[in-house]
This record gives sequence, C-alpha cells and structure tokens, in this order.
Amino acid sequence: MKTQRIQILSASLLVCIVAFAAAAQTRNEVLIKNATVMTAARGTLENTDILIRDGKIARIGKNLTVGAGARTIDATGKFVTPGIVDCHSHTMMDAVNEGSLAVTSMTRIRDVLNPTDIAIYRALAGGVTVANLLHGSANPIGGQNTTVKFKWGRPVEEFPIADAPPGIKFALGENPKRTNFPPQPGQPFRYPRTRMGTMEVIRDAFNRARDYKQSWDDFRAGKTKVPPRRDMELEPLVEVLEGKRLVHAHGYRSDEHLNLMLIADEFGFRVATLQHGLEAYKIAPEIAKRGTGVSIFTDSWGYKLEAYDAIPYNAYILWKNGVNVSINSDSDERMRRLNLDAAKTMKYGGVPEEDALKMITLNPAKQLGIDKRTGSIEQGKDADIVIWTGHPFSAFSRVETTMIEGDVYFDRTKDAQMRAETQKERESLEKLDVNRAPGSGGTPPPVPAEKRRGERDEAEYGEDGGQR
Amino acid sequence: MRLKLVLFAWAAVCSLLGVSAHGQSYAITNARIVTVSGPTIEKGTVVVRNGLIDSVGSNVTAPPDARVFDGTGLTVYPGFFDTLTSVGLQAPALPQRQGGGGGGAAATQQSAQSSNSNYPAGLRPELVVWDDLRAGDSTFEINRNAGFTTAVTVGRTGIFNGQSAVINLAGDTASAITIKSPFAEHVSFTTIGGTYPGSLLGTFSALRQMLYDARRLQEIEKMYAADPRGLRRPEADRSLEALIPVLNRQVPIVFNANREIEIVRALDLAKEFNLRAFIAGGQEAWKVADRLKAQDVPVLLSLNFPKRTASASADADPESIDLLRLRAETPKTAAKLQQAGVKFAFQSGGATSLADFFANAGKTVENGLARDAAIRAMTLSSAELLGVGDRLGSIEKGKIANLAVVRGELFGKDRFVSTVFVDGRPFEIKEPARTPQGGRGPAIGGQQPAIAQIGGNYSITINVPGQTLTGTLALVQQAAIVTGTLQTQLGTSPIKDGKATPEGFTFSASVQLGGSTVDIFVKGAVAGNNISGTAELPQGVVPFTGTRNP
Repeated sequence: MKTQRIQILSASLLVCIVAFAAAAQTRNEVLIKNATVMTAARGTLENTDILIRDGKIARIGKNLTVGAGARTIDATGKFVTPGIVDCHSHTMMDAVNEGSLAVTSMTRIRDVLNPTDIAIYRALAGGVTVANLLHGSANPIGGQNTTVKFKWGRPVEEFPIADAPPGIKFALGENPKRTNFPPQPGQPFRYPRTRMGTMEVIRDAFNRARDYKQSWDDFRAGKTKVPPRRDMELEPLVEVLEGKRLVHAHGYRSDEHLNLMLIADEFGFRVATLQHGLEAYKIAPEIAKRGTGVSIFTDSWGYKLEAYDAIPYNAYILWKNGVNVSINSDSDERMRRLNLDAAKTMKYGGVPEEDALKMITLNPAKQLGIDKRTGSIEQGKDADIVIWTGHPFSAFSRVETTMIEGDVYFDRTKDAQMRAETQKERESLEKLDVNRAPGSGGTPPPVPAEKRRGERDEAEYGEDGGQR
Repeated sequence: MRLKLVLFAWAAVCSLLGVSAHGQSYAITNARIVTVSGPTIEKGTVVVRNGLIDSVGSNVTAPPDARVFDGTGLTVYPGFFDTLTSVGLQAPALPQRQGGGGGGAAATQQSAQSSNSNYPAGLRPELVVWDDLRAGDSTFEINRNAGFTTAVTVGRTGIFNGQSAVINLAGDTASAITIKSPFAEHVSFTTIGGTYPGSLLGTFSALRQMLYDARRLQEIEKMYAADPRGLRRPEADRSLEALIPVLNRQVPIVFNANREIEIVRALDLAKEFNLRAFIAGGQEAWKVADRLKAQDVPVLLSLNFPKRTASASADADPESIDLLRLRAETPKTAAKLQQAGVKFAFQSGGATSLADFFANAGKTVENGLARDAAIRAMTLSSAELLGVGDRLGSIEKGKIANLAVVRGELFGKDRFVSTVFVDGRPFEIKEPARTPQGGRGPAIGGQQPAIAQIGGNYSITINVPGQTLTGTLALVQQAAIVTGTLQTQLGTSPIKDGKATPEGFTFSASVQLGGSTVDIFVKGAVAGNNISGTAELPQGVVPFTGTRNP
C-alpha cells in the first residue's frame, strides 16, 4: 500500500515536473515568424524571424526554429517595431506638480506612481512600452523623474527600470513664473515672477548644492565633527553636478534653453534633454555641440505665446544638425499615436523612415540612458516589441501585440475577449445590493463628466491645468 | 426613614468620591459567557469587583454583597473595541487667519509661532490627543450604548494626525479613562493648505526629510550628551523629537490607507525607515496580504464598507468597474487577511451608524471569516494589537472589567446591548423606542437631545467673491454627530468633525482649490427647508444659502 502510494506520488510529481518544464519553456521562448522587422538600428528586414528567450532578443534571422513547447506567432504580412519610448509623460502619477515652492528637487515621482491608471493599458495599445514620468513644469527645479516600463497588472515596484540613470525635471518660461496661475486671493505671488528670476533660482540652487557638497567633503575629511544634515533638496542637485543625474528641461523659447545650457556650462554639467523646445531649431548647432538631446512635439505650432515661433521643420533641422531628437506626447491621449507623430517628420523636411522611427524608439532611449537594453530590435536587448497590422506610419495600421521583455501586455484578440468578460462581470456586479442605488433618500448622483464645469479634456490641455 | 436618609447621604458621598463604581461588586448570573481567551461558558457567572473581573465560570456563585444582574438569555462578551475613532475630541480649532493681504506663509508662520514648532500645522507629530481629550463628551455614551468600552482616539486632520490614546469609554477625567497614551503616531497621506507640501509628492518628501532630520537629531543629541564641549548645542525641536521614539520602534506609526497603492506606499516608507507600522482602513489590504505578513504589519480594518449612496439617474456616468468590484470585495478582506496570517482588528472607519459595525462584522463572517475570529477582531485581537492584551480584551480573572451584555444575535438586527461595564461600572441601557424612523444605530437612552435636526440634502450656493459656487450638501445626522458630503465644482469632499448644536451645525472639509488642498470650516443653521450659514476659506469668510431637496 505504502509503496503504491509512493509510486503514485512520484508519478504525479513527474507529471508536474514535465508540465512545469513545458510551461517554463513556453514562457521562456517566443518566435515571431516572417515579419517585416523595422529594427530602428539596422534597417528594415523583410520576411524575418525574431527569437525571444528569457525576455531578451536572442536571434534575428530567417527560418529560425524553436522547441516544440515554444509559442510561435505568425507575423506574415505584419510589421514589427521596437516598443515606443515616450520621453515626456505624466501617466500613472497621483500627483504631477508640487507647486508650493520654486525648487522641489526633494520630490520623487516614484513615490506617487499609480499602476492602476487605465492610461497605461491604452498606451500599450498604441505600442508604448517605456515612458519617462516627469514632474510638472510649475517650478524652475521640479522633482525627480522615473523611467518605467508599462508592466500593466504587475506590482508597482516592477515598473521602474532599475538601471535607468536617475533624472530631474527643470522648467523655464511661462509655467515656472506662474504667468497663467494667479495665486488665490490674499495669497502672495510666488518668486520667481520673471524669466530672469527663473534663471536666478536655478543658479542659486546650484550654488547652494556646491556649498552643501563642500560641507560633506569637509566632514568626510575629518575637518568637522558633526555630520551635516542630509538635505533631500540639494542631494539630487549634487548628483547633477557630479554628472550622475540627468536634467530634463521644459522650455519653449530657444533663448531660455540656451541660457540654461550656459548655466550648465558654468557649473560643469550637461543638460540631458531640452523638453518641448519647439524653436530649438534656432540654436541647433549650440545644442549639437553639447550633446544635449531635444524632445519635441511634431506639431502644436503656435498653440501658446511661447510656442509662436514653432515650425513644422523643427525635427528635420535638428536632425540635420546632428542633434538627437525624440518625439514625446506629454499626454495620455497623444501617447497612443506617437507613431503618427513620428511619420510627420517624413512629411515636413523628409527625415528618412528609419530616423523617423528612431525619434520614438532608440533616440529617446539614448536620451534616457537606457539604449543598452531597449529602443531597437537588436540581439541581446530586452524583447520590448510591437507587432502592427501594417506599416506603423500608416493611419490605418493598428497595434496587434505589445510585448515587454517577452511578456505580452496587450493583445488585440485578448482585448476583445476581455471586453466581453468585463461586460458580463459588470452586469453581475451591478445586481449586488452594495452596488444598487438606494430606493429613496440617496445622495444626489454625480454630475456627468461632460457637464462638469472646470473639468477639461486632459488631452487638449495637458499637465498643470492647461499648460504644456 | 432615618435609615433611608443615612443611606442616601452615604450614596451621595460615595458618588462624590467616585468609589461607588470601584467598591461595589456585581455579578452577572446564568449568562452565556464568551470569554474569547478560553472556551465559551454556556451558563455561568461573572463577578466584577473593584473595577476588575473577580471570577468567571460555570461554578461561580454571586457573592452576598454583589448586585446581581440576571443574565438568563443574555450573552456576556468582553467590551468591544473600536480601534480608530475620534471620540472625546473637540473639533480642531482652525489656525488664525489674517484678513486680507496676509494669508499664506504669514498665516502659517503665525500658527507655527503659537505652538513654537518649526513646522506648519499638519506636520506636527508632537501633538498628543490626550491634551484635547474631554471625558464627558456625548460621543462616549453613543459608543457605549452600542457595546463599545474601549477605543483608540485621534484626530483626523493633517499629515501627522498626532499621537493617539487608548481610552475606556466612561470616566470623569481624561486621566481616569486613559489606558495608554501615546498608543501610536498617526499619518494620513494628505496635504496641508497654502504651503509646502501642497501635493502628494511633497507629502512624501516632507515626511522623508523629517524622519532623516529626527534620526540626525538623535545622533547629535547623543554626541552632545557625551561631551558638549566644542559642539554647537542641538536645537530642541519638539516636532523632530516626537519622531525619535517612532524611529526607534518604541511607538508604532499608523498609516491611514485604503487603496492597494496607498498601502504599498505606507509599507515602502515603513521599510525605508524600519518603522513599526500599522495600516488603518485597509479596504484593499487583501491585495497586499503577502507583504503585510512579510513585514509583520497589522491592519486596523475598517468596517465602514463602501456601498452605493447615490440615487439612480439616467443622466449619470456608469460607475467604474473598479468601484463596483471594490464594494463587492471589501467584505471579503477580513477572511483573506486571516487566511494569509495577517493580524487585524476591527474599527468603525468613521461609519455614520455604529449598527453598521456589527452588521458588517457579520458580513465578514458570511464572507468566510470564522465567527470566533470576527469576535476576536473586536475584542482580544484589538487589545493585543494595541499592546493592552494583558489587561483587556477577554473575560479572565484579574483583567479590567469591561463587558458588554447582549441580548439576541450579536451580528443580527435583534441585537440589543442591555448593559455595559466599563472599569467595573455598569451602564444599563433602556430599550429603544420602536419609532418608525429607527434603524440608525441604537437609541440613546430615550433622551431627546436639545440639538437642531439638520439632516437632509440641500442645494446650496456659496458666494465666493468673483465666483459663485453651486453644489449639494448632504448631511446625515446621528444625534450630535453629523456626517455626509459637500459636492461643488471643486469636487466632492467628505464632511469632517461634523457636529449638530442647539443652533445648527458645524463641520470642516478639505477641498481642492487651485491645485492645493485647503481646509474650510462651515457653520450653518436650518430653518424649515432653508439652510444658510458661512464657510471659512483661506480668502476669508463667505456666506452660503440653499434649500432642501425633496
């Protein structure tokens, strides 16, 4: 009896192991077959297979084979691109601006990530896999950004890219001087109120950061007895001075962006990206010389006073001058069609197709310091991959599948099934007592969103109550 | 006749000295006794003497000097705990505001000066609830009549709510009712009006900086105590000093967090600074049960389960599936925490009706929690988590005589708490009058309180200079306690610290104004179907008027 039981046990154990091994293999290996692969690094490859193993791109070639248990996706007639990288986003953030102070370098976007934001899933449906989540533009020096992968459904701690270099948001122009945000009656205006004040705030912060660094150097050298106070405001600015933290600087006017780069020269660091920079074409050589990147909108020409000198050819001129250009969304809605924004750079000036694709993939990955792991389809990189029904620059193409590190996070077929399931679930949930409207004496129903005054379409107005 | 007079005089002296409760002994006989710590005694006696449980058992007989309560058909439970309330606390006084041009930083500075803190109101962990505790508050009786004998009490405003106390719900002075103070530092992930931090981003960085500063202060104070010569003296910063016992894990820190992501943020912060954390609220705690277990973080689980209150409207947007799911899932949380080995105790979560506490405790049982575990969560588990399990929470010889004597099914509609003992002092509760309007909590001893009746839904107009806000004010009144919501173009805010007074009502609420959260203080009165009053905003005091919705 006993031996028999042991036999049954070991037999079922064997079944388990085999099943597990098969499952593991299926999970670990995926083969995308016969696609048109736009690598964003080494041209476009026709009728090509991509083998994914353990979340990485293992091989790119023709007629690749995998083990029997592996998942194979027939991509005949379909296009494959790297996952889109959005270099300027405020998705999945429960707070955007700490507008109380002019310098809020102590704040961290990491603290307010919300992995249940539905905009994440919608961005995946538009092929976006990576986003640079930035503090808003209310302050000359804003908070610390976080670069995430959109691992929808996973715990929040799995979203940030662990080895992405840290960064910080700066802002110039109308927003940090609060032009369009008069204070509440009785409240004082916040300094700075002018563009020169903004520059002063930034210079002053770096001078303070230098002094702060000195106080620690003195302590570590034994010159002082008492350890200095850890200053969460100045620590990240010391990291900027040491070249360990990337500066992403919001601004529209080229004179201001140039001024900031001059301050950076003065303090010995490089600005990583000029964000927006709709008239950056005016200072393209100065930008190129410093190796600074520019992350722009492809249109929004003249949408506010600061953007008056924006032109359709901005991306082209910057590209022609050797500047690393990326195209960002700064919007949960536009994020879903960054492919079309990239296509516009081909129309205005004639950026070549691959360079246009790079502007939403490899270029922003470089700007964010994550190009070793993502941004193009190359052997050894993370399998952050999008399968499109047709050419990604066509308005008629749709994303079919979005993968991050080989795992599928959006699939159009599954999405259709999920909609039906959710509808069913909703119907059964609505029948529960707790979800039924009270027969009488209930509180008034909420006003429908479209009738609510003061609530505006975020897509149209962007962060910070209408200021992008 | 003379004897009667003597007796009367003696009784008067006793009550004056406060000895009647303690010297007297009582016996509850022939009752079913749910001891919680041991097996339930189907028919037995509990003897109370000198404020303590003198003996308990099936063979115990009532001593001759005891006043006997016939417990036939009744069940004796340990007095119930509500592990998060604001009982006995006055509505917090709003900081003084300057009229006109001052405001903002000036107002903050002024109130900071008045407390000698370096931090604005809302960031002052040194606030101790005990200082504001009023033993005779009317909320004590409401709670006691529902069977509660012990509560954690703390304010609900600010990022640091302050240091809570564990109190008994009867007694003449704050000293007499206090079981433990402080129990914990309480934290809300909110913002403070008019100054940094004005967003959730700033809230976390401000907390982090204060914790780092407190850690450093402790180190420097040690250095200075060892040898002050050659060192600048450390600043005596009471706000930071209040955080040192929290950093040293001597005082726990309770984070108010309901959503999964809020709980995760609390757990992350607790981990970063190695704090002894609690979660209060915990609606979605089941989603992070593994982490709660791994970090040994208990949950003060709210029994204020969400349910739809909005009336039906063809016009309204459909409710989000997340909200529909939340309402369905919340009653299952307790069972899931139990299964995962996460410690928890129940609390009322600011529920408008204490009857809901028991009804919803019953729902946790319907949704898989063992009945014993549900009772434990409002008695012994509560006591243990509050660090008073050696003196409260079960019916054992030598423990404090806090008892609830209940007729009918504890979690059922026929529940009636007939007598409550607090510190050995009996409070007999009159039968509720069977009025048709009943159903909102137990009756309050049949007394008609001399307070205004102000409950209802009102359409209101607030005349802010340069702008007219319209909205709806929903007031739910339970005796002197007012809850509900204020809905305007600025959003929907729950009413805080709402009170009905003989003249009308007062409450405060936090609203989003120009990107930051500001506290407003509302005072008003109802006359027939008309409502009017004032709202105190950072800009000044503005009037509002309105009418009752049918």
